[in-house]
Amino acid sequence: MRIFAGTRVLFQIALRNLIQARRRTGVLFLAVGTVTAMLVLLQAMSAGINDNMVTAATTLSAGEINVAGFYKVTPGSAAPIVTNAAAVRKIVEENTPGLDYTLERHRSWGKAVSETGTVQTGLTGIIPKQEDRFFHTLQLAKEKDYVEGGRDEVIGDPRQLSEPHTVVLFANQAKRLGVKVGDVITYKTETQVGRANTLDLKVVGVAKDLGLLSSFSCFTQKETVLELGQLDPDTTGAIWVYLKNIDDAPAVMAHLREVLTAHGYRLMDYNPNPFFFKFEDVQGEDWTGQKLDLTLWKDEVSFLSWVIIAFNTVTWFLTSILVAIITIGIMNAMWQSVRERTREIGTMRAVGLSRVQTLLLFMAEAVLLGLGSTVAGSGVGVVISLAVDAANIHVPIEAMASILLSDRIHLSVKPGTVVAAIGFLTTFTGLSALWPAIRAALLQPVKALAHVE
Amino acid sequence: MRKLLVLASIAWRNVLAHRVKSGIVGILLFLGAFLVVTGKSMVDSIESSMAKSITSSLSGDIQVFDKNAKDQLALFSFGTGGDDIGEIPDFPKLRDALMKVAEVKAVVPLGSVNTVVFGRTELDQALDKLRVANRRVAAEQGEPASSKGSFGIMDLEASPIGPPHPAGLIPFSADLKLSPPADVAAALVPADVTERDQLFTQIKAICAQLQEDQKAAFTISADKVKAQTDLDNLTKVQTPEFQAQFAADPDGTMDWLDRAIAPLASDGKMMYLRLLGTDMPAFTKDFSRFRIVDGENIPEGKRGFLISKYAYEHFVKNKVARELDDMKSKRDDDGLTFKTDQALSDEAGRTSRQYARILFMLAPKDANELKPLIQAELKVDPKSTAAEDQDLGKLLATFLTVDDSNFNERYDWFYANIAKRIRLYDVGVGDVLSLRAYTRTGYMRSVNVKVWGTFEFVGLESSQLAGVYNLADLVTFRQLYGKMSSSQIAELDTARKAADIKQVTRENAEDELFGSGATEPLVADSTATQKFDEFAGVDMTAATRAAAQLDDRVYTHEDMEDGVVLNASVILKDGASIPAAQKAIEAASASVGEPVTALDWQTASGIVGQLLLVIKGVLVIAILVIFLVALFIINNSMMMATLERTAEIGTMRAIGAQRREVLTLFLLETLVLAAVASTLGAGASVGMLTYLGEVGIKAPSAQMMFIFGGPKLFPTWSLLNVALGIGSVSLISLFSTFYPALMAARVQPVVAMNPKE
Repeated sequence: MRIFAGTRVLFQIALRNLIQARRRTGVLFLAVGTVTAMLVLLQAMSAGINDNMVTAATTLSAGEINVAGFYKVTPGSAAPIVTNAAAVRKIVEENTPGLDYTLERHRSWGKAVSETGTVQTGLTGIIPKQEDRFFHTLQLAKEKDYVEGGRDEVIGDPRQLSEPHTVVLFANQAKRLGVKVGDVITYKTETQVGRANTLDLKVVGVAKDLGLLSSFSCFTQKETVLELGQLDPDTTGAIWVYLKNIDDAPAVMAHLREVLTAHGYRLMDYNPNPFFFKFEDVQGEDWTGQKLDLTLWKDEVSFLSWVIIAFNTVTWFLTSILVAIITIGIMNAMWQSVRERTREIGTMRAVGLSRVQTLLLFMAEAVLLGLGSTVAGSGVGVVISLAVDAANIHVPIEAMASILLSDRIHLSVKPGTVVAAIGFLTTFTGLSALWPAIRAALLQPVKALAHVE
Repeated sequence: MRKLLVLASIAWRNVLAHRVKSGIVGILLFLGAFLVVTGKSMVDSIESSMAKSITSSLSGDIQVFDKNAKDQLALFSFGTGGDDIGEIPDFPKLRDALMKVAEVKAVVPLGSVNTVVFGRTELDQALDKLRVANRRVAAEQGEPASSKGSFGIMDLEASPIGPPHPAGLIPFSADLKLSPPADVAAALVPADVTERDQLFTQIKAICAQLQEDQKAAFTISADKVKAQTDLDNLTKVQTPEFQAQFAADPDGTMDWLDRAIAPLASDGKMMYLRLLGTDMPAFTKDFSRFRIVDGENIPEGKRGFLISKYAYEHFVKNKVARELDDMKSKRDDDGLTFKTDQALSDEAGRTSRQYARILFMLAPKDANELKPLIQAELKVDPKSTAAEDQDLGKLLATFLTVDDSNFNERYDWFYANIAKRIRLYDVGVGDVLSLRAYTRTGYMRSVNVKVWGTFEFVGLESSQLAGVYNLADLVTFRQLYGKMSSSQIAELDTARKAADIKQVTRENAEDELFGSGATEPLVADSTATQKFDEFAGVDMTAATRAAAQLDDRVYTHEDMEDGVVLNASVILKDGASIPAAQKAIEAASASVGEPVTALDWQTASGIVGQLLLVIKGVLVIAILVIFLVALFIINNSMMMATLERTAEIGTMRAIGAQRREVLTLFLLETLVLAAVASTLGAGASVGMLTYLGEVGIKAPSAQMMFIFGGPKLFPTWSLLNVALGIGSVSLISLFSTFYPALMAARVQPVVAMNPKE
């Protein structure tokens, strides 16, 4: 304990030293600060992409937990359908801890045809009166975004989906089909052995694109999908479960699996992939009837995870090079400082400063420098991130937009990661002073005092 | 000059004297040069590998497409292939114009369309065979096909859904109800029953199975009335009255089976194949990476289809075999094990449940042979009465339950004993595929085309992106796309005239239907077709016959080329400039009234080309950030070093050194250090690149293989990149030293000579 008795004094001396070597401190401060700001910015971008993915995925592809499944009329078939939907939904609603709400989505796959174009897309059936969040998330595009010479205003109302035979398209689809709000498109389902069904749907709204996923779906009401597929009303495509806290999803899914099994439902093994990857597997298995399949939101968009992995790899790579550079820089500065102050060290040692305290003194200098610069740097990083996010910058390259899952640059600052960045870089700054500090601690007081520069 | 040499030697001495500072700054400069040379060389190598692989496999140096297209051409994209890239209505005209451009070596026409292939169900196949048998019986008896024939309908007891076969091989158990393969049923009837009787029995057996399935379909079907009708129809097939009806009117009954029953068997597999129509001889000649793997190339003038080897192995191959291949590659190439990798062990679990995909492909004879073999392989006592030891399905499931200890053995055993007994690929070389596609106006078109073989692009064998296209001739493409060539249209017109069919146009419709044209037959009498022997008994209009003729005939090169294509690859002469050629091509096409947009291969390759731009961007930004931080650190080190040397500088100034000389000395010091460190850094990078250029960098994933232009990237370095590395690092170091050097130059001799502190 004695060692730490003079900690406060040590920090005071350290601070004094830093101030004294003002110029050197300033440059190192800038370097470490820049790296911290960079790291915070990159993390905010990564979190922003992740946010986009959660929004796009939980609006278009999945609930936070999905209770879906396959119904097999014959062992060789596979229909992505949940039968007795009402009963299953009731069990799920009664047994989900931390439940926010549930939704039902009906799925169909086929081709939208207009007079001038065709688009292959999924058709998702919703129950409009239960979809407040959906209508809130879905932002309509301005007419000029999908019609050449269109008006600079938003046309249409997605809530008209409550009327039969209506559809809400995404801007990319409307553009390709050459249709605008009020026009009629023909939707053809594609089923096995070429059996097809066709309906005319009126466009009641055109939504802003949500990246890659918005090429794969458009929206209509539940009854329309049932009509296209000639399906029983008590079937659904999937029950989407939303929780008060999305982080609980894996645990809640495990719980729901137990509950549904206890209620006598057969469950498929957990397979973290989107449902459309599973057809072939299911078709080859030898059971018939209903099996339920539970997945998490990220499983249904697992084919997009490479974007975040790639981004994080670049962040990691860049950060490690930068950390290596500042480590070298700080080590050099501390080394210099030890040499400059050899006589001072000798004096302090002579008046009773222990080796450990000497070591701590130099470490304290580095830690103080690190802490100050990382806090300032992260502050700058946060301000830039928030500013860029608020500026709502348009992504100019289409491919980029589809990968980022948004046509706007979105950055999201998470306090936890900012604190982690500060902690991480301060630790490294402190550690890089270790070797010079050890050298200082090992100095013999007599020799140090005799040191002449 | 001499002064400079003196200064340089002092600078070098100083560099050596201040080891720590020189060491630190040196390391940073070394790293900087290393990063710049390595990063830039890697990006360049990737770009040139990709250029080689893409330009010599599909895109050529330049892609051209309709100038007025809605979307931009993207050969390799994430999308569903629904891009509207317009069309080039008259390809020969465009080609002739482009061939006059000095840089152009060859022009290859292309046109892509998404097709769907529906697998034939067991019922479809049985009905096809029955139709043929029916016709043969009729021919043998010298009677029209619709006349009565002698029929001995077999007892259903002997059919596959009856009691179990004594050998215990019938692949049915209470919870396993797949439709039986034709061969199983065929093998179970006595040999003296006619083929027709066998087939009818088989159809009845399949219908009995469907009857069970139909009961399950009730649960999800909204139209309960139709579901009941379907069930009633299936029940009807089993009745003696139906047998009598079939005996009395085979053709009529067949029609009814086609319409009412065949659609109920929904087990057919649906396969999406992206078709790229092209001029095959030109394609083969101009794309050096193209290579036939199985079968043969489409013969010149013939129509046909070539499946990409990647699609063949990853979509067309038997699912179980594919999973085994995949697991083998993950174990051998990626070093995964079942014990440590959860995803791999889950895959193994799923594979064992796919045993039916083998079981129902086995003919009874093969099943009989395989059972004792697999029992021996699994070391099961053949006399054991336990179900898992006798039921072939259960034996197969056990066989497919693999782990680290038995995987390699089971894999080899599968290919040695099972693969040859099943149909390993859904589509075989030589099969005729029924390709369907939506035309641009949304109508479904269907074309039958022969599969001649499989192909791949050398170096891109395992790349999914490169395997996305399957090749076909242009006539097939145009039929699926919905536009025929002018000569085909003319030919069809001739055929129509020959068969006395009149085109009913909007203008003459009324006359033709109700008025003056009534004396001429509007549609040729179906009996008229009887005179063509090969189509006897088949109800065929002259138009469909003409279309059938189109399928069989041999085309001249002009026939093939003539007509619409969507885009074209332009291959340039060696060393020709792409931007110049782009301009010349656009001008030449506009001058003949077929205006096209010319894209360089990188832009035309779509998302992949853009990815390369993103990689370049990331590299530049990363290097800039690294340089910025390094600048601070170097600057700091130099500043500290300068301050330390105040006394030394003062002395120099006192004995006559000018400010300019001090400044030069300091800058020279840095420059000498930068030159040494960056040369070493660049040297290390060149050494590493040379080594990697020898051994190659393995592509970490199949997607990367496309970007690497093959399974391995062999990076190269260039003097230009070395110069760039050394130059940029020297510049940065000079820049960061300038301020400390200026400070040093400002040192007053007097101040310098004052004792410190």
